[in-house]
Amino acid sequence: MLPHLNAAYTLARYLTRNDHDAEDVVQDAFLRAFTYRDTFRGEGAESARAWLLTIVRNTAFSWRRREGRSALATEFDETQHSDSVAGEHPEAALLRGATRERLQRAIDQLPPEFREVIVLRELEGMSYREIGDVVGVPAGTVMSRLSRARERLQRVLRPEVGGD
Amino acid sequence: MSHENLRAQLDAYLDGELASVEAGDFEAHLAGCAECTRDRDDRLALRTAIRAAAPVFPASDALRERVRQGLRAREAESAGARRAMPRPWSWLALAASLALVALGGWGLGLRSGATESVSDEVLRSHIRSLMPGHLTDVLSSDQHTVKPWFNGVLDYSPPVYDFAGRGYPLVGGRLDYVGGRPVAALVYGRRRHLISLLVWPAGRTAAAPSTPRFSQGYHLLRWATPAYTYWAVSDLGIAELKDFTQLVRQADSTAGAGPGRY
Repeated sequence: MLPHLNAAYTLARYLTRNDHDAEDVVQDAFLRAFTYRDTFRGEGAESARAWLLTIVRNTAFSWRRREGRSALATEFDETQHSDSVAGEHPEAALLRGATRERLQRAIDQLPPEFREVIVLRELEGMSYREIGDVVGVPAGTVMSRLSRARERLQRVLRPEVGGD
Repeated sequence: MSHENLRAQLDAYLDGELASVEAGDFEAHLAGCAECTRDRDDRLALRTAIRAAAPVFPASDALRERVRQGLRAREAESAGARRAMPRPWSWLALAASLALVALGGWGLGLRSGATESVSDEVLRSHIRSLMPGHLTDVLSSDQHTVKPWFNGVLDYSPPVYDFAGRGYPLVGGRLDYVGGRPVAALVYGRRRHLISLLVWPAGRTAAAPSTPRFSQGYHLLRWATPAYTYWAVSDLGIAELKDFTQLVRQADSTAGAGPGRY
């Protein structure tokens, strides 16, 4: 029985952006979880999931540092990525038609710090507090990262911006 | 509070992270602010697109086996090392609690009772219906087409009305599942918004207080007639959704709501 293997793999896959590295990260994370199982202090299923995904997330980030790959992302800078541009608004109807490929590409283009909050919120349905625990930031930071990540996704998915 | 300050709360509002007082303030602002309303609609569209179409990656069987073997090897090592001082087998306890969630998926963490889970199912039904191609099984604004369609797939005949003249045109109908049983879901339009109206025979689900619920950017309203239980869900404002439900109630009362099934 390997609970949450799919959730772990999805997060790892979005963070590494390829199957091979994602598999290594997940394997490594589950072994770490086993090794440090006594440090799990939470109660109940939700906190166990958050605990496991925290390990996956940290494993992916240390993998990135070890590999020294900047291929993963443009370096993250809180101020550089603060998208306060009010600008035009995407047509909701066109967003509705966004395809799987376009969405994945749009998410993959985000810096990893944005990517992970989108995955944890939209695909795992976690609360700001839970996401904050996994990512290691306050809930307010989770909110602002989510907000900026969504602004960027809307801009990228807006058809007339296209290849920009 | 200023527009700027309120605008900054949009995501927290849609993610259900605002306290009810703050959410009420935000909704009051939303009612009078076209810019925030448009931003909200864009966010809802984005969220719907992500949940409908962003890929999730199931682990391959090969990975599953590899992880399992890795854990088994690690387990054997640590069993040898720890024999002198046995500890509670906390990994098993952890795995057991993880398994509970594994069965649930993302939307199921909120259950606090029967009504809660029915309203969760209704909400998921509506969100699912917003995915491309999932809105309707029978696409017709003609109630005399939609109603017979249900007769073929359900063991009850739901009341079907069209309120095009009142600004809520019938868009179609679909078959959905609540509590593991097929139910009728009617879809109505209102400008760019959609309303799902789920209806099933009274007595199938526990009677519950019909307090409006707000979750993930959608309002849910429940009411019952002697014959049917109704749920309406939409991202429309609560006032308009109530207006819509009032039309359904009126239509029911003038139609006599039929003999129903108990």
